[in-house]
Amino acid sequence: MKVVIFSTCLVDLIFPNVGKAMVEVLERFGCETYMPMQQICCGQITFNSGYVKESTKVMHNEIDALMSVDADYIVGPAGSCVNMLKELQFHLPKGDDEYKAKAHEMASKTYEFSQFLYRVLGVLDAGAELDAVATYHRSCHMTRLLGERESPYILMDHVKGLTVKQLPHIENCCGFGGMFSMKVPSVSQEMVNEKVSDVESTGAEVLISCDPGCLMNIGGRFNRLGKKITIMHLAEVLNSNVDMSRVKYVTAEDRKAIDQAALEKSNAHEEALV
Amino acid sequence: MTDRETFLNYLAEKSGRPRHQLKDHPLKPVNDLPETTMSGHSQDELLEIARKNAPAVHVDFQTTDKAGLPAALDKFIAAKADGKLLLPTDDESYSAFGLTGWRDGLDPKPSFWVPGAGRKANIDTANHSEAAIGFADMLCAESCTITAPTTPGQGRAFHFLPVHYLSVICKSRIVARTRQAMDYYEPRIKSGEIKTSNLNFITGTSSTGDIEMVLVVGVHGPLDMTYLVVEDM
Amino acid sequence: MSTTQMDDTMFRRTGQKTGTMLQYGDPNFVNRVHQSTADKFAHGAISSAQDAQWVKRETARAELGNWEGWRDLSEQIRQHCVRYLPDYLEEFSDNVEKRGGHVFFAQTDVEARDFITDLVKKKQAHKIVKPKSMVTSEIGLDKALLKIDGVKVTETDLAEFILELDDWDEPSHLVFPALHKNRDQVQKLFAKLGYTGDNDPQHEARFSRKVLRERFLEADMSITGCNFAVADQGMVNIVTNEGNADLSMAIAPTQVVVMGMERIVPTLREAETMDNMLVRSAVGTKLTSYCSFVSPKLPDEADGPEDFYVVIVDNGRSNALGTEFEPILQCIRCASCLNVCPIYRNIGGKGYGSVYPGPIGAVLSPLLQGDYGDFHDLPYACSLCSACTATCPVKIPLHELILKHREVMMNDKHMGDLISDTVMKVVGMGTGHSSLFRTALTFDHVAMNAIAKKGVKDPETGTRVPDTAKNLDENGKHEEWMPFVFGGWTKVRDLPEPPAHSKNFRTWFNKRKKSQIAEAGGEDAFRKTQADILAKNPNAPKAFGTYDNSVSARKVGREQTTPLSDATVPTALGSIEEAGVGDYADRAKGNADNGKKD
Repeated sequence: MKVVIFSTCLVDLIFPNVGKAMVEVLERFGCETYMPMQQICCGQITFNSGYVKESTKVMHNEIDALMSVDADYIVGPAGSCVNMLKELQFHLPKGDDEYKAKAHEMASKTYEFSQFLYRVLGVLDAGAELDAVATYHRSCHMTRLLGERESPYILMDHVKGLTVKQLPHIENCCGFGGMFSMKVPSVSQEMVNEKVSDVESTGAEVLISCDPGCLMNIGGRFNRLGKKITIMHLAEVLNSNVDMSRVKYVTAEDRKAIDQAALEKSNAHEEALV
Repeated sequence: MTDRETFLNYLAEKSGRPRHQLKDHPLKPVNDLPETTMSGHSQDELLEIARKNAPAVHVDFQTTDKAGLPAALDKFIAAKADGKLLLPTDDESYSAFGLTGWRDGLDPKPSFWVPGAGRKANIDTANHSEAAIGFADMLCAESCTITAPTTPGQGRAFHFLPVHYLSVICKSRIVARTRQAMDYYEPRIKSGEIKTSNLNFITGTSSTGDIEMVLVVGVHGPLDMTYLVVEDM
Repeated sequence: MSTTQMDDTMFRRTGQKTGTMLQYGDPNFVNRVHQSTADKFAHGAISSAQDAQWVKRETARAELGNWEGWRDLSEQIRQHCVRYLPDYLEEFSDNVEKRGGHVFFAQTDVEARDFITDLVKKKQAHKIVKPKSMVTSEIGLDKALLKIDGVKVTETDLAEFILELDDWDEPSHLVFPALHKNRDQVQKLFAKLGYTGDNDPQHEARFSRKVLRERFLEADMSITGCNFAVADQGMVNIVTNEGNADLSMAIAPTQVVVMGMERIVPTLREAETMDNMLVRSAVGTKLTSYCSFVSPKLPDEADGPEDFYVVIVDNGRSNALGTEFEPILQCIRCASCLNVCPIYRNIGGKGYGSVYPGPIGAVLSPLLQGDYGDFHDLPYACSLCSACTATCPVKIPLHELILKHREVMMNDKHMGDLISDTVMKVVGMGTGHSSLFRTALTFDHVAMNAIAKKGVKDPETGTRVPDTAKNLDENGKHEEWMPFVFGGWTKVRDLPEPPAHSKNFRTWFNKRKKSQIAEAGGEDAFRKTQADILAKNPNAPKAFGTYDNSVSARKVGREQTTPLSDATVPTALGSIEEAGVGDYADRAKGNADNGKKD
C-alpha cells in the first residue's frame, strides 16, 4: 500500500517529531511511505487572507507534488490542512479545469492521519502506552469542515495507561485561525487564554490534538505564561511505547457502536447532549 | 418613496432574473417533515403529550368533562378573578360547551368583550379585569400552543391585558404541531370561511430573560396561564 | 449568479448611499476591542449566555428530530423566496392593500426614515410604542423620531427599554440587546422612573410591566419590525416572548411595519416552518409565548390597527443580489451565529461597531453600505472556525462569505497595505515555488536563531527557567519577537524555533528511507516486508469501504443531533436559569456518562 505523506509546512518548519511519529506509525502497520520533496503548503496562508490569486501557484505546486507518486492514499497530520487539500478543487480559478480534475482525484484518496488509521486501516488499538492524564482539543476544521469527529477518540480510548479528560468548551476555537492570530492578536489572546484555563481545569498534564497549528498556539501561550503542559500530536501518542501484541483491529460488526460512542464524546458539549 | 415598479424592476435587473417567473416555478418542498413529524398519534396520546409539555411553558394544565366544566371554571374564578372577570361574547361556544346557563348565572356579573362597543371601551374593560376565560380553537401538543383568531367577540387585547388567563379547549381539537393548525387555517382564511384580521398562537405565559438572562415569568401579558381541556368533546 | 463582487450599483444608480446609519461607537476597531474586553461584566455575561444557549438550542433542535432535514427545507424555502423576491413582494403588497393596508417601498434608509417621520407628523402621533426591531435600528429611526416636537417614543422590549433609559445605549446582541447590563445597573436606571425596589430581576421586570402598561394604553401609533411577511395573505408575522408587540399592535390605532425586503414567505405554512426554526435557534424553545399573524382590523373587530402601513426596505440588500453574497439574504435574524462565535464571545456586539454584529454582521454590514469603509476590519475579525456555518438554520455558508469579502478586498479592491501585500506575495512565492521553499529549509534560519530565547521568564522572579510547555520546540528555544504581521503571533505567544536543517523532517525521512532499504536488501525487498505486515491486517488492504470520503458527504454543518434520553430533557421551556452555566458542566458530564452506559 503506497501512502504519500502530506507533510504540511508546519511539520516541515516547526514540528519534525509529528512527521516522524506519523511515518513510524504508518509503516508499523505496513504502509510504504513516500515523501515528494516538491510539496510545500496547501495554500491556506494566502488563500484565507484573501490573496486568492496569489494562491493558485501554491495550489498547483501542491497538487503536482502530491500526485507525482502513483499512490493509493495521501495522508497528512493536520485536520485543517487535509481539509484544504480536499477543497482545492473548489478554490482553483474558473476555467482551470485540468487542475480541478486532478484536485478532485487527489481529494478522493486524501485522509487525515487518525482518520486513515481507523477508517482505512481499521486500527482500533495501535499498541501504544502512555501513562498520563490528558485532554483533547478537537480542532474546528477537522470536526466541522473535514467532518472527522470520532477517529481520534476511538484511538485515544485504546492507548494503555492514558486517561482522557473531557475539555470544557470543546466547541470553541483556540484562537489560532491562521493569519487571524497575527492580524487580530488582542482577540486571539482572549480566546487562547480561555483555552489555556479550560485545559488547566481538567488537570491534564498532556494536551493532545490532531492539528499542529492549534498545538503551536495553545502550547506557545502556555509557555509565554510560564504554565506547565506537554503538547502532543495524536501520532506522537500512538507512537509511544508500542507493543505490537496489543494491536487490535476493528470489525465491521462493531464499528457502528464504536463510532456512536465516540461521536457522543466528541459532541458532548457542542451538541449538548447526546 | 420609490414607485413599486421601479423598486421591483431594479431587483429583477440586479439579480439577473426576470420578473413573473414564479407561476412556472412554485415551491416544491424538498421533504415532508412538516407533515410527518409527530404524525400518527391518537387524541389520547396527544392529550398526554400536551400535558407533559405544559410545565415547560409554565401552564397549569387541567382536564375535566363537560359536566364538570362549570365547577372547574368556578374554582378558577374563585382563586383568580377577585370579582373582575372578563368573558368573550360568543353564544355558539357557550352553547357548545354547555355553558350558557352558567354564564347567565354568574355572580358577581362578569364583564364581556362586546362587539360594537368600540376600541376604547373594550380595552378599558380588559385592562381592569383580573382574570379572563377565553375559548381556543386548537391546542398544539408539541409546543403546548393554543390558537385563537380574533373575532368581534374575543379581540386581540382580550388575551393580553388581564392578569390571569384560562383557556377552554376541546380534546378533539388537539393537534400534533402548529403545522396542523396552519393546515386548518390556511384554506379557511383564504376562502373567507374564517373572517379575521389576526391570528394569535399563544404558548403559555409571557416571559423574559432580558436582565442577566434570568428567567422572569409574566411580563406584559398574563402572569399565569391555565389550560382546561374538556375530555368528552 | 457567479460573480464574486462587492457592488454599489444602488449608489451608482440613484446617487444615494445606503447603510449610512449602521456604524456606531469608536471608529477604530482595535479601540473598540479594547473597550469590549475591558468590560469584565459584559465579557462574562456573553460567555455565560453562549454556554447556556448552546445547551438550550441544541436540546430544542434535538427534540424536533432530523435537524439536517429541517435545515435543508428551510434553506430551500429561503432561497426560493430570494430567487422570486420581486414576484413575492408584488403578491404581498397587493394582498396588504386588499386588506386595507398601505405599502411603501424604500430603496435607502433615509427614504424609509423620512417617510415614517413625515407620517408621524401627518398623523399627529405623539405617543409611539416600539417592539424590538433590528431594521428600525438599521434606518436610525428612533433618533429621527425623537427630533420631532412633542413625540414620545417608548421601546417596549424590556432590554431595549433599559437601553433607552440609559440614554439610548447601543444593543450588544440581536436577541438579548442588554446582555451587557447587570441587575444593579438596571436598578439604577429604573430609579429614574421612581423604582425603589431591590436588584431582583423579577421585581425589576414587574416594575417595567407597570410603567409600560401605561405607555401601551396611551399609544397612538406602534412601529414594529416583521419576522416574516406572508405573501398570499398580506399578513405580517411577529414573534415575541414578553407580549409587548401584541399589546402595541392591539391598542395603538395606527401600525407601521418596517420590513427588510427579504423577510418574505409564500404562505402561512412556510411562516410556521420558519417560526419553528427561528425560535429554536434564537432562544432554544419550541415557540415563543406569542406568535402572531396581523393585518388591519376588520370593521366589526374592536381593537388592532385601523391604519396599517408597511414600509419595505432595500437599503443595500440588493447589493447582494446576483452575486455570490446572495445567500446572506436567507438570514432570519436568529442570532445563533453570534451565540456560537468565539470572536463575538470576546468582543461582544459593540466590538463590531455595527447595528448587525457577529458573523452575520461581518458579512452583511459591508454589503449594506456597498463598500468596506466603516467595516473593513470585520471580515478579518474571524478565525474561520465555521461554527456559524454549522449552526445556521438556513444554511448560509457564513465563513465562506467572510472569506469572499477578504478576496474582494485584497484581489479586487487592493485594500491591503503595502507591507501586508508584500509579505503575502513573498509567502505566496515561497509556498508556490518548491525550489525556494527547499532552499529556505536548508538555511538553518540564521536570523531567527540570533533572536531566539532559551527558557521562559518566571512571572514572579523575572529570571529565565526552562520552557514550561514541553515538546513545543525541538531545541529548547523559541522566538518572542517577529517582524511585520508575524509580530502579532509573538505578541501573545512564543513561537517555537525551527529545527536545524540536519534535524528537520525531510532530512530524517530521507536518511530513514535509505537505511530501511539497505537493511531490507533493496527497494523490492523493503516493499515485500511492508506488504507482509499489511497482510496480517484482517481489514487490509482497503479496509471497510463503507466510509464515504467525498467532501460533500462530510461537509460543513453536519452537526449531528441525536435524540435525547429522558434524563436530559430540560423540564422547563424558557428555562434560562435552569440551563445556567453551573448546570451546563454537570449536564454535559451527565451526558458523557449516559453515552458510556449505552
